[in-house]
Amino acid sequence: MRCLVFCLCLLSALTRSAPAQGSVEGQVDLPRTKSAPVMTKRYEIVTTGGVLGTNPPLAVVYLEGSFPTSSNLPTKQVAQKDLAFVPALLPVQVGTKVEFPNLEKDTYHNIFSYSPAKRFDLGRYRPDEKPVPSQIFDVAGLVTLRCDIHEHMRGLILVLATPHFVVTDDSGHFRLKGLPAGHYTLKAWIDSRTTREHPIDLKSGSTLQVDFPATP
Amino acid sequence: MFPSGHPERSAVERNGVEGSRDQTLKVPQRYSSTPLRSVRNDEKVSRHSSLCGLALGLVLIACAIPSAKAQDFLDHVDEALSFSALNGEVRARVSGTLDLEVYHFSGLSPGLIRTTNDTLFNPRLSLFLDAQLGPSVYLFTQTRVDRGFDPSDRGAQLRLDEYAVRVTPWEDGRFTLQAGQFSTVVGNWVPRHLSWENPFVNAPLPYENVTAIGDKSAPYYSFLGIGTPAEKYEHNPIIWGPSYATGVSVAGKIGQFDYAGEIKNASLSSRPESWPITRMDFANPTVSGRVGFRPNEMWTFGFSASEGAYLRPEAMSTLPFGRDPGDYHERLFGQDIGFAWHHWQLWAEFFEARFEVPGFTDADTFAYYLEAKYKFTPQFFGAVRWNQQFFGDVTNSYGGTAPWGRDLWRADLAVGYRFTAHTQLKLQYSFQHEKDGGNDSDHIFAAQFTVRF
Repeated sequence: MRCLVFCLCLLSALTRSAPAQGSVEGQVDLPRTKSAPVMTKRYEIVTTGGVLGTNPPLAVVYLEGSFPTSSNLPTKQVAQKDLAFVPALLPVQVGTKVEFPNLEKDTYHNIFSYSPAKRFDLGRYRPDEKPVPSQIFDVAGLVTLRCDIHEHMRGLILVLATPHFVVTDDSGHFRLKGLPAGHYTLKAWIDSRTTREHPIDLKSGSTLQVDFPATP
Repeated sequence: MFPSGHPERSAVERNGVEGSRDQTLKVPQRYSSTPLRSVRNDEKVSRHSSLCGLALGLVLIACAIPSAKAQDFLDHVDEALSFSALNGEVRARVSGTLDLEVYHFSGLSPGLIRTTNDTLFNPRLSLFLDAQLGPSVYLFTQTRVDRGFDPSDRGAQLRLDEYAVRVTPWEDGRFTLQAGQFSTVVGNWVPRHLSWENPFVNAPLPYENVTAIGDKSAPYYSFLGIGTPAEKYEHNPIIWGPSYATGVSVAGKIGQFDYAGEIKNASLSSRPESWPITRMDFANPTVSGRVGFRPNEMWTFGFSASEGAYLRPEAMSTLPFGRDPGDYHERLFGQDIGFAWHHWQLWAEFFEARFEVPGFTDADTFAYYLEAKYKFTPQFFGAVRWNQQFFGDVTNSYGGTAPWGRDLWRADLAVGYRFTAHTQLKLQYSFQHEKDGGNDSDHIFAAQFTVRF
């Protein structure tokens, strides 16, 4: 009898520590590539050559639901390199600290955001300054990053109330793993005006195929 | 000595300096006062009502545009106005600003503001084209629709203020060649002279304080004082705003040093009408240059120099026999300092200028300003600026000596709020004081609302 109780307890504990997991994969139809930005050089006495790189459109796919929050979130980074944000699109969970290192050789940046989800202005800081300027993103929403010095620079931080998200690749393909079983809404954030969604029923150990076509 | 009836003699006689080397010249009032200031009360009431309406309009716009939808709309306008072709080898972007400015002054219109009223509404639409052709070629234009290059109460104008093509053969920026009509390389104010970047509504004193120097005629009758506001605009500051004259420039960077040189068709003090190549040829070019030192990202130091003829061709008939406009130069030396760190930005510029004046000894002036900007919050900033200008003495052919302008100082205080990345409101108060003047202190209020797209 004691042995049976022990086995049941062990099974229960194992069930709690290793919940049933599923995954979702699929394809998001991405919008066409936007024109690359043109750097404004009108009043710069010294300018360097070269053109700015194109950022291909990407989407963020995330699982919407009620999930426990973690107090130990990893710190993320959005760097400034070659007069652009790297990465240009970063999804983070609410409460994540994001650092903004300046990786330019000898160029100031002044990163700021006026987005309702997070308003801040880091001011001008040198590449070698420590600590690296950072912000904690504690409200869900879209945060548009800009530079007060370089008008063309744009970056996005999508703050999500879920730990389950992934950025698609350039072709729009995604795979979300380690998802808990249950009934959820899977969302694909395309841009500030477009978010597609799909209800899903995740079963333990299963892999769902969900696509987000441009015209459902 | 000048013969009786000679214009310089007349000027000297009017100022009562003939043969009196030690006698201080009587400097006339800068402006004649009452006739131009007499505005009927009902007109004033009407104007103040209009001003209130305008201010209310600015507030309403300021409240409406920051909404998330409007912000999103302007972001998408921004994207829609970018074009590319040939796999991104050719890229272009149209952008612009819409400025709504209101000025109110207790005295006569200050600086380069051109009105006989005490209140002025000055709307301005600026459109920019920036294009990158491959890695090495960049071109830009600036077109404006407004009431004149400087704030005025005249009718609407459409102008192409700037156009230039820039070639950068090496990616490290060691050499750049630019040709067209574009801002001067002198000093450090130009990079922030547009409404969005400028913490103030107006320009620093050296760029807008009109002196007794005139470029349309030899200054026999007006050198020792400026008469009315209308006449005032016939005179020149040390540097006329960003000085969009036409010419060619070279620039580059070598280690911590940078250099820039330009040859333009008009002097730094020349008026906007002189800047286009269709209005002034290169008969009397101006050469300017700047050497900069940047030990790190925080500090910049610059030394500028410029020399060129400042009189326009129509001044020829007023010059002494055998002389032409190319004989009278403006020489300028400038020093500039810039500092930026975290939420602070500081600038200072110092200019020593000399004008060669027909019939007088050289006219020297020294002007400087110190400017600081601080961001209190991500969207709210404040700025202060202290400006001062000193005038030297000039001596005419009879030995009479007098300062050729009144020393003055001006304190500027401004606050600004950026509602969004596309909308900004600035409020400015300035107090200007002239030494030894009858009407010597002015209060200036200015507001500027800017939509950037």
